[in-house]
Order: sequence, then structure tokens, then C-alpha cells
Amino acid sequence: MTARAIAARRLPPGGLGHARDWLEEHPWIWSFMAALLLWIAIGVIAGRGVGGTLTSALRFAPFLILVGIGQMFVITTGYGAIDLSVPFLMTLTAFVGIDVMDHHGVALGLAASLGCGLAVAVANVVAIELFAVPPIVATLAVGLMAQSAGNVRASGFGAQVPDGFQSFVTAEVGPFPLLALLCIAAAGLAGFVLHRTAFGRGVQAIGQNRRAADLAGLRVNRLLASAYLISGLLAGLSGVLLGAQVTPSLDLGDPYLLDSIAVVVLGGSLIQGGRSNVPGVWGGTLFLLLLVTLLGVLDISLAAQNIVKGALIIIVLALASSQSAT
Amino acid sequence: MTRALRLSPRATGIPFDWREVLSGSLPAMAFAGMLIWAQALEPAALSYDGLQLLLLSAVPLLLASLSQMFVIMLGDIDLGTGYLVGLVNVVTARYLVGDPLIALAIFVGLIAAYSAQAALIQTRRIPSIIVTLGSSFIWLGLGLIILPLPGGKAPGWLTDLLNASPPIVPMPILIAVVSAAVAYAITYALPYGALMRGAGSNADAIARAGWSMLKVRMTCYALAALFGLFAGIALTGITASGDAQASANYTLLAIASVILGGGEFSGGRSVPIGATIGALAIALVGPLLGLMDVSSDYQTGAQGLVLLVVLAGRALTRRVEL
Repeated sequence: MTARAIAARRLPPGGLGHARDWLEEHPWIWSFMAALLLWIAIGVIAGRGVGGTLTSALRFAPFLILVGIGQMFVITTGYGAIDLSVPFLMTLTAFVGIDVMDHHGVALGLAASLGCGLAVAVANVVAIELFAVPPIVATLAVGLMAQSAGNVRASGFGAQVPDGFQSFVTAEVGPFPLLALLCIAAAGLAGFVLHRTAFGRGVQAIGQNRRAADLAGLRVNRLLASAYLISGLLAGLSGVLLGAQVTPSLDLGDPYLLDSIAVVVLGGSLIQGGRSNVPGVWGGTLFLLLLVTLLGVLDISLAAQNIVKGALIIIVLALASSQSAT
Repeated sequence: MTRALRLSPRATGIPFDWREVLSGSLPAMAFAGMLIWAQALEPAALSYDGLQLLLLSAVPLLLASLSQMFVIMLGDIDLGTGYLVGLVNVVTARYLVGDPLIALAIFVGLIAAYSAQAALIQTRRIPSIIVTLGSSFIWLGLGLIILPLPGGKAPGWLTDLLNASPPIVPMPILIAVVSAAVAYAITYALPYGALMRGAGSNADAIARAGWSMLKVRMTCYALAALFGLFAGIALTGITASGDAQASANYTLLAIASVILGGGEFSGGRSVPIGATIGALAIALVGPLLGLMDVSSDYQTGAQGLVLLVVLAGRALTRRVEL
């Protein structure tokens, strides 16, 4: 018997039962609670400023939030949709964006980054929709090409991040990094688009039942293409921002391949698509980043950190899936 | 009368579809084309020694692809293949020479761990992509603990084996043929193989017929781990050292090889020969670019291009009307 079934028996109808229903409708609560636990644990164990811990975690949150939201749009469209080109694209735009910025100004640098994102997204869509290549392989193939382009741009790379852009990326408002605040707004916008607009509902509908959505008159291909487009643009943006935060390197984007998928599913979105959860991307991101902070505080090696991270992903999602398996 | 005539190919039991044959042989054609290209660039390429040099580096990937095939056959995906191969690589490099018992214990443990993953996926109904995403971090972490920095060495017998000179057929081709044949025999010759193939396309039917889907899934994952072990051991023999992260990209390249070879994410198809040829084609891109004096920067891009061209070509040939 699952934990949930036991819980369901014990809970009387009324107050607690409502709480349970509410939790089921808001699966992102779990990721936030897990993140909160980690935060408290860090405070207790390290005995150091909990505010400082959060600030340092928030400093790296925006990059994962942006690609996570993009990845979520794609995963929501269902039927195996996933964007594996993300990490390679981020590395590419870190090099291209910073390089163009250094020589032609910040605006053009950002435009070049978004342009790269657009190009990769269009290639993904062409491969998936025109040539019927499965999304995993299509986005991988396109990602590999982006990786090559990144390699080429990296050789002889010597550009400096313009001061203005650097101070924007690292700016802080009180204890909060400015980028993190902007990403809260971005998540709010993404949530509005996904849940309150016809477009967003369409994206979720094609993830639930593509044939039904098609019969209902939704433009499936166009919705699908938009999801990849959003993912490409956000990953392109995230890459150049990250490139300004840390020095661009060939493995800059690598961790974001698995992490972008992890934050989506940790946040309560279904990997099978059809159900997305924007606040959950924030919860999942905070969970992953605070976990790394906690393990760092405990002086656990990077190697062991991976093991704990992997085990926790499995445990948390195993528990969450027994919660939602009705 | 005309109606009967039109139906005759099917009625007489000769459902020959040239488009299927053409699209199915595209990866093999791509592989052959690349070999011919290599021959044009370097006259010794297709000689016995030339093939040994060109294809030896493909051996770990083709074994990893067969590993991935056993998982994709179920309709699952293994995101941990690359780091599993990396873990086996460092275990082999660190322990197999001095403490073979430790190495063997870890190998057995990994097969058990893969079966446990399968049990978790089957009993808790968690998507395989999530479980293997989590376990991939575990393999990476274990690999980094065993060898924080690349190092170690390959057992002498292993290097000798991989560089052996069997009569007529170069070693990498022999390994490719034998491993594809073994995977083929498991899934097509063994009675249990039919269950493994059926599990992907119709799990309910298997369960209703009284077979345990749990056992089928655990067996497939154990086989995936086994081929992952072979891949990691072969990688050690080729690179003569251990590196937990060197094979990270095997995960996605192995998935690509299986799909290139005719596998489908919906499961139900065992394509050992296709996956092997797919892996050979992907792995040949690097050495071919080397012969062309193209910078290695372009290697992954060229691999992506080959993938897209072959898969797009397949989609187009299937769409063409007679």
C-alpha cells in the first residue's frame, strides 16, 4: 500500500482532506518544502547567515530558471518532446554573445545570442516537423552542430565582458540579485502564458492528447514550434548571461543538460507532458542549488555530491509519483 | 479482376516494399559511403591494418549502443549509459589489474543496480528517463570517487586482445559481428527474447498471458548493464586509462545509434545489427575528418549532420509515392 493510500484513509473529510486536494493541485509545494528543509539544515549545520546562503544560491538560479522554463515548455508538448540542444546552445551563445558584445556593443551581443537561439530552435523544428526525426535525436543532432560552432568560436577567444553588462548581471538589490528578481517576473509571465492564454492552454492540450487537440482545431505544428522557439531563445539568453557571470568555457553549458530536465520534473511537471508547473521550476532550482550549498557546507566532495544529488532526485520523484498516482 | 490483380502482391504473401528496404539500409549506406570516402583519401584505409585503426575507437560506442538497445526495446530510455561506461572504465583501470575481485564485485553490483532500477520503474510506475537521470549522477559520482583524476592502466591481456590480429577479419569488425550476433541471438533465438520484444510493444498482453513484466524488465536492464560493462572494459583497453567523464557523450550517441539503426522510442523493436552499424557510422566520422585534415572542432557537428541526413533521408524515402 502506498503512503498516499494510507494517508488518504486516515484523513477525515473536511479540513485536512481539503489540504490534501490542494497539495495535489499544487505539486510545486513539495519542491519548495524540500528546498526550505535544505535551507534550514544549512542554517543549523553551518550556523552561518541564512540570508547569505540564499543570496549565493540565488546568484546562480537565473541561468537554470531560464533554461528550465524553456525546457518545461518543450516537455509540456509531450510525446517524447525534450530539448537536448540546450547545453550546447548555452556554450555557443556565451562565446558568440560576449564576443559580439565586446566588439559591437551590448545590444548587438544580446541580439546575436538570441539569433543563435533562434537558429538552433528553427533547425530543431525543421528536423522534428518536416523530417519526423524523434525530438531526442533531432535536438541532440542540432545540439552537436551548435557544439561544433561553439568549439570554432572558442579557439582564439579573448573578448572581455563589457563593464556595463557585467555589472548588470552581477547587480544586487538589497540582498537579492537583480537577475533573480527579473527571473521571478519571467516565471510569473511564463505562468500567465501557460495557464491563462489560449496559446498556453494549447501547448498543454497537445501534450495531453495531440490527436484530440488536432481534431479540436488547434494548430499543433505551430504550437510545437513555438515551444522549441521559447526554449531556444531562453537558453540563448541564459548562455550569454552565464558567460558574463563566469568566464566562457567549452563545458559551460554541460551541467544544464540534465539539470534543466531535473528542475522541470522536480517542480511537479509531468515528464510525459500535458501538465506543467511554473513555480515548480523555481522550487526545483532552489532545491538543486541549496543541495549543492549544503553538501559544500558539509565539506562533501564534488564526487559524493553527485551521488547524493542523483539519489535524492530518484527518492523525491519516487515519493512524488506515489503522491500523484491516483 | 483488376481488383484481384492489384491485391496480388499481398495475397501471394510477397509484401515487398522497396521504400522500407531503402530506408532501412540508409545507415549501412552512409557507413559504406564513409568507408569509400576514407579509401579515396587514404589508399590503405580499407586494408586489414587500416580498418583496425579506423574502427577500433568505435568498439565501446557500439557496445554502449547495444546496451541502450535493450532499454529502448522496452520503450524506456537510459540516460545513464555514458556515465555507467565511465564508471566501468575507471573500475577497470584502477582495480582489474591489482584487485580483480574488487572489480568483479563492482561489476556484479552494477548489474544488480540496473535490475533494481528496472524494478523501481516497473513497480512504482516512474518514467525510466527520471530514474536513469538520477542514477546517472550516481554513476558519475562513484566514478569520480574511484578515480578523481584520469589515470590507472589497462590490463595487458585486454590491450593485447583488442589489438589482436585474427585471420582475415580485423578485430573491431570481429567484435562488432560477434556482439551484434549475441544481442540478436538473445532477442530472436531465445524464447524469452520474444517476451523482451513484446514487452515494449504490448506490456499488457505479456502480463495477461501470465508472464511477469517485472522479470522481463529486470532482465533487459541487466543485459543493458552487461553490455555497458563490455563497453567500459573495451574503452579501457583502447585508451589505456580510466576517466569517469570521458564517455559522457556516449549516452546520447548510443540513443542516436539505436534510432539510426531502426529502433523506436515506443519500444518493441530489437535492432542489434542496425544499432551496431549506426554506432560504426557515427564513430567513423571522427577518423574520417582526421583523414580529411579537418579540425576536430567540427567532429560533433559532422556527427549531428550525419544523424540528421540519414534520419531525414529515411523520412523522405518513406514518404515518396510509387
